[in-house]
Amino acid sequence: MRALIVDDSAVMRKVIERALRQAGLELTEVLQASNGEEGLQMLRDNQGASAPLALILSDINMPVMDGLQFLETKRQENLAQGVPVVMITTEGNESFVLRAIAAGAQGYICKPFTAEQVKVRVLPLLRAA
Amino acid sequence: MTNVQDEAVTRLDSAVSEVFETMLERSCDPMEGEVDTVEGRIVARIRFTGTVDGECLLYASQATASVTAEALLGTPSEPHDPMVDDAIGELCNMIAGGWKSKLANPDSDCSISTPAVTRDGLEGYRTQFGTKFSRNYSFQGNVFGVVLAF
Repeated sequence: MRALIVDDSAVMRKVIERALRQAGLELTEVLQASNGEEGLQMLRDNQGASAPLALILSDINMPVMDGLQFLETKRQENLAQGVPVVMITTEGNESFVLRAIAAGAQGYICKPFTAEQVKVRVLPLLRAA
Repeated sequence: MTNVQDEAVTRLDSAVSEVFETMLERSCDPMEGEVDTVEGRIVARIRFTGTVDGECLLYASQATASVTAEALLGTPSEPHDPMVDDAIGELCNMIAGGWKSKLANPDSDCSISTPAVTRDGLEGYRTQFGTKFSRNYSFQGNVFGVVLAF
């Protein structure tokens, strides 16, 4: 399984990857982007890949391009359609959650989080995809 | 302390404890007394904008920052490892976000910035905001400080 993690913190990208592995996901490759623009470019580069992405996790507060703009642009360009997107962010208030869902996110995890919370939010989305 | 500060301190203690227990699997307790005993060189800063205007600063010595990064990542950190600054920035981010989410109206329109991390210490620090307090915390003998101003 291939996943994309978009977060401006390299530490958080590592922590999220570890949580995914602890959740039992057999990750063959984890693409890492430090902002929404880099994430979009990776999605563009991956169009038509033999092993498509199975999961995208993204922060919201990031420099250059934030997570909400990443979602909106991804949808406009029809990138990674059908791939579940889970937002992982400190922005836990309802208005941000609603904006993320409206922009195409299927799940939402607030920092701080446990590996179990990641498992509970991510696995049902992968089964449904 | 005023009621506003009391409430802010309670929320901050709760946010710090939650971040450490969840992400680092360690307990972290507030320390009473003087707050300027922390040898803080690495400083992370988060700005609040909106219904709450203010800032949250987390400062720690290199040694405490390294231990924090190791606890967060589960791997040893190298000397001058950029992941150490990153870890302190992310810790400040989660504590500031946790404090914000515990406001009386958490759905109010208040956004937080991405963390800015410097190695200038807190010498000469002044804030433009009216209410300011500092608090020290300790986990496993490692001490760091948090300044909240709004």
